[in-house]
Amino acid sequence: MIEVKDLVRQFKSGDRTIKPVNGVSFELEKGTLASIVGKSGSGKSTLLSLLGALDKPTSGDVVVDGVSLAGLPAGKLTEYRRRDIGFVFQQFNLIPNLSAVDNVMLPMEFAGMRKTARLERARSLLEQVQLDPEKQSRRINRLSGGEQQRVAIARALANKPKLILADEPTGNLDEQTGEHIIELLSSLSRDHNTTILVVTHDRSLAQKTERRFRLQQGKLSEETVRPRVAAGT
Amino acid sequence: MSVLARSVGNAFRNKIRTAAVVAVLAVAIGLALAMLVANQAVGGKVQELNASVGTVLTVNPAGAQGFDGGGEPLTTAQTATAAAVPNVVSVVGTKALRLETATAASTSTTGTTTQQAGPGGGGPGGGTSVTTNLQAAIDAGTLGTRNNASSSTGSGSTGTGNTGTAPAFSLPITATGIGAEVDTSGKALNITSGTGLGDYTVASTKALVGTTLATKNNLKAGSTFTIAGRTFTVAGIFDAGTTFGNNAVYTTLAEAQALAATPGELSSMVVTVNSMDNVDAAKTALQNALGTSKADVTQGQRNLQTAVSSLDSVKNISLVAFIAALGTAGLIILLIMVMLVRERRREIGVLKAIGARNRTIGLQFVLEALVLVALGSVVGAAIASFASGGIASALISSNSSTSTASQRGPGGGGFGGPGGNPFGGASQLLTSVTASASPGVIAAGVAAVFGVAVVGALVPALLTARIRPIEVLRGE
Repeated sequence: MIEVKDLVRQFKSGDRTIKPVNGVSFELEKGTLASIVGKSGSGKSTLLSLLGALDKPTSGDVVVDGVSLAGLPAGKLTEYRRRDIGFVFQQFNLIPNLSAVDNVMLPMEFAGMRKTARLERARSLLEQVQLDPEKQSRRINRLSGGEQQRVAIARALANKPKLILADEPTGNLDEQTGEHIIELLSSLSRDHNTTILVVTHDRSLAQKTERRFRLQQGKLSEETVRPRVAAGT
Repeated sequence: MSVLARSVGNAFRNKIRTAAVVAVLAVAIGLALAMLVANQAVGGKVQELNASVGTVLTVNPAGAQGFDGGGEPLTTAQTATAAAVPNVVSVVGTKALRLETATAASTSTTGTTTQQAGPGGGGPGGGTSVTTNLQAAIDAGTLGTRNNASSSTGSGSTGTGNTGTAPAFSLPITATGIGAEVDTSGKALNITSGTGLGDYTVASTKALVGTTLATKNNLKAGSTFTIAGRTFTVAGIFDAGTTFGNNAVYTTLAEAQALAATPGELSSMVVTVNSMDNVDAAKTALQNALGTSKADVTQGQRNLQTAVSSLDSVKNISLVAFIAALGTAGLIILLIMVMLVRERRREIGVLKAIGARNRTIGLQFVLEALVLVALGSVVGAAIASFASGGIASALISSNSSTSTASQRGPGGGGFGGPGGNPFGGASQLLTSVTASASPGVIAAGVAAVFGVAVVGALVPALLTARIRPIEVLRGE
């Protein structure tokens, strides 16, 4: 279970104080597929960074399965990212000179998994995200945008994280490929019982998630709670 | 894929840039290794010089040197006095003889008495002339004829003073009785064929003959010749390295004393001091022990000090150049890795976001740097193995030229005489330094390069720890 308690992040910009995240609180049950929508600059990515321990909140706390992130030292936060979080980025952010399977193996290597085990799991995950086996050993720059995003999702799942944070995962993809990616995230959330939080400005994509939040001027409001929409509908 | 494999892969990510970096590193590393090789070669030569020729003192009778001058002869008993002087490690007595053919001796007798006795020959410290069946290997030439003429028309106080036309002149052969297997400068004899004389302290009819003298007289080991009517067997042929030095014969000290009929007398003593640092002190002590009225103590081949000094300069220059080239290699690595870290900031941010530790990322960059250095070292070692000899020679020749100019001073000439080489035999020592890239020296140099590279790569590796993933990924 993910609990976000009165989260605030503020920056100084000259004489002004900006609060892209201003008193955000919510909870997500395990295995939930949720989305946050909002305009550009509304603070979506900042909120995601706080949840992923890439940034520290000015105040407030994030509690993951009863463990508070506030006050954790840098080393523990790195461990949290490695073990409990999976990131999916708009720009994919894969390592360009590595193959698809090597990219998926990276987080497992950082977690200390043995090579044979991580190779086996990486291939299994790439199959789950429906990347053709013959493309698994290709370098990243020889894959299409949709294929790269599938690899990124497989990488995010590598260490069986509690929470996957996806920042505009379809932002660089065409509509049809974007549809496939969100279907994939939905099915993975269900199959792996993993909480997935998607940040997007695409309302049609957000409608396919169980819970939909709206972030406006740093304030979060929940728009919809509904049963998960079946894939492809 | 392990950190090492990833580092190797990253090193070749941009092949053109990798080739350029390796080429630049190879030049710096090659230069560093070449300088190290030159430094080791020159250092070895300096040690060799310090341990041998540079620590030798020569003792002559006061007022005499070789066949010149006069005074009282040295005695075998004085070797014990010399040996007791602090820092003296060995004392070798010598007895000089002049060997002339019977014809030349007869001409001298009827012509120039000074020639018979030799310059200073009448004096007890000089060489004694005895007959031999050997022909000198050196033609008199212009210098020999002129010297003969000047001595025959000079102040031959004991001669009959033949001031007429100089007779046909044949150069004598130098024969030296020695107490050990060294030449008169204390340097070990270079016997090129045959053997030594064994025990140099007892009378023996075995002799060592110089290469040119042996060639002139068709001698080889086992051949015989005569001195003062006695038959000598050639035990070995030696190479003194000079034409004059090879027109010579060595016998045991006792044998030479017997041939000259002067038992117990010495022409000179070759005294070896334990260290070049103690040479001056030992020289003073030796002079005091033997007495200024009885012996002149000179430092054998003092010009070698100039050679050693010159080589020391080359050694220092090569050491500084080695350190500079090493530092340059380290700086190249530092700048390249800083550039790579800046270029891969986003990638580093991503690695941190997915859970990589700072030390894992830092290690990856250090290993990448070491891969580049390893490639540069391979090419650099090849460069050094080809270039070290030439670089060492260039360093030595440029340094000895500088020394030559400074030694000659205004007006030129210097102590080598007009047009002469001021280093004398030392110049041969300078050019005889052979810089060859031995595996040990190359390995030591490469180890030093790797040490510097690790330091150079650590700085950018530590910079990666300062990269915050949020700042890098904010551009999403």
